[in-house]
Amino acid sequence: MNTDAADTHSPHLDLDDLLTEASGQAISDRAQEHLAICWHCRAEANRWNLVAGGVRALAAAAPESAPPARPWQMGPRVLAGPKRRATLAASAAAALVLIGGASYGMSAALSGHAPGTARTGTKTAALTAVSGCAGLEQADGTLEQVNGTSLAIKTASGQPVTVTTTASTRASMFRAPLSDVTDGASVIASGHRSNGTIEAGNVSVGLPRIRSGQVQTPSGVASVQGTVSDASAAGFTVVTSTGTQVPVTTSSATRVMIFRASLSELQTGARTIAVGHAGPDGTLSAIVVLQSPWHGRLQVNGCSPASIDDAITTALISGR
Amino acid sequence: MNDPQRDAGATTLAASPGPTCDDAQLLRRIGQGDESAMAAFYREHGRVVFAQVLLVAGERVLAEEIVQDTMLAVWRGAGSFRGESSVRSWVIAIARRQTRDRLRGRRLRVVDDAFLADQPGSGPGPEVMALDRAELAEVMGAIRELAPPHREVLGLVFAAGLSLPEVAAVLEIPVGTVKSRLTAARTALSRKLNEKGQNR
Repeated sequence: MNTDAADTHSPHLDLDDLLTEASGQAISDRAQEHLAICWHCRAEANRWNLVAGGVRALAAAAPESAPPARPWQMGPRVLAGPKRRATLAASAAAALVLIGGASYGMSAALSGHAPGTARTGTKTAALTAVSGCAGLEQADGTLEQVNGTSLAIKTASGQPVTVTTTASTRASMFRAPLSDVTDGASVIASGHRSNGTIEAGNVSVGLPRIRSGQVQTPSGVASVQGTVSDASAAGFTVVTSTGTQVPVTTSSATRVMIFRASLSELQTGARTIAVGHAGPDGTLSAIVVLQSPWHGRLQVNGCSPASIDDAITTALISGR
Repeated sequence: MNDPQRDAGATTLAASPGPTCDDAQLLRRIGQGDESAMAAFYREHGRVVFAQVLLVAGERVLAEEIVQDTMLAVWRGAGSFRGESSVRSWVIAIARRQTRDRLRGRRLRVVDDAFLADQPGSGPGPEVMALDRAELAEVMGAIRELAPPHREVLGLVFAAGLSLPEVAAVLEIPVGTVKSRLTAARTALSRKLNEKGQNR
């Protein structure tokens, strides 16, 4: 993280931090706090997360390869093309006895797991370990169906995951209608600033207060947190904790992020991330379900509900 | 951007600790001709190596052959492992050499540093915005179309899970060049997405 005292205008995360975050590894508390409040760094982190997600999804989608031949059958490679393939196929068949479960091991290692987190059972192969809390898992894919309190998610590699929810499971989602932005709602509105007015690109409703109380944004873009008043079809006013009133305009392009939605509001066919604990039968008991364009890998600082909530909030406000 | 608390050459993506006892023991047993250790080694690393090779080579059959050759090299060279790097980066370095040898004279082209170090502009241009709008499936498609050196460095960091110093060792380039290559890869990816967006 850039902490150069002489450079007070660029306290942003550096490439190392961004790559670390995209790799699902822990970044410093200071970097994490900055990420939670800085629009610019969240956007950059989200771009790297998307790239990392694409690479991981490609790796997860890699087909099974033929198991290796027995060592004594792997002589100097002199054959090529179809003839060699035939030789390999024959030796691979013999090798199956030796390798045993190798093909599953290969599949699990890249079927969505973080490197080094391959599991021993086939039923959890579609889940990804969440960095920072042992046992916390993430299913990332498309919502196929909502059946009462359970969800059916299909991962990018085509694996189905059943997600169960309880009354305490929180569902959060992005959606277009502005009807949730009503007087008294707690919001964060972000967008281009023009003559003291924010033209909102995103409005987050019901988010817990961002710790610093202020969101850093790149030049020309502003973000304000507070309570909605004078809500209308054209916009609303945000009253901050200090009483400052900031006019916000909205349009059909404004997206609204709902922090607490009901399961029935989730949209089938939309990208969905469920975070929770895997059961022995491979189902995921969800703590939270997100429908968000965010492509990052969730990272928590411990297993406490507050820590998980913090991480989810960061993920949500990182959504584009 | 520098963090004064961080050594000049150090990175947050720090080098992994040396080989684990399990890995080191496996290689020792492989060096002694233990086939079950070879099978265990393959279970542990084979899939990651295959995915990385496939990402660079782009052809399944070719990638399988390269992995076979890599495992043969591991079988024969396990005794030469000095423990100076993680086993994962060691085997991926072997796979990379096998890939380079197989692709040499076929289609691997020399890409000059100016191309690889192509840096994005300071502001969010249309290409960055293309990345902002992209969906995962589009990104996956665009990654497949990147130049092999770009696919390679992305795979090493994000799929193989190597640290930046490990990637630098595998690619035999400085850590700084790894970073610039990663940035260039993202820029190239954004351009691909932008082109696709304009063609839609």
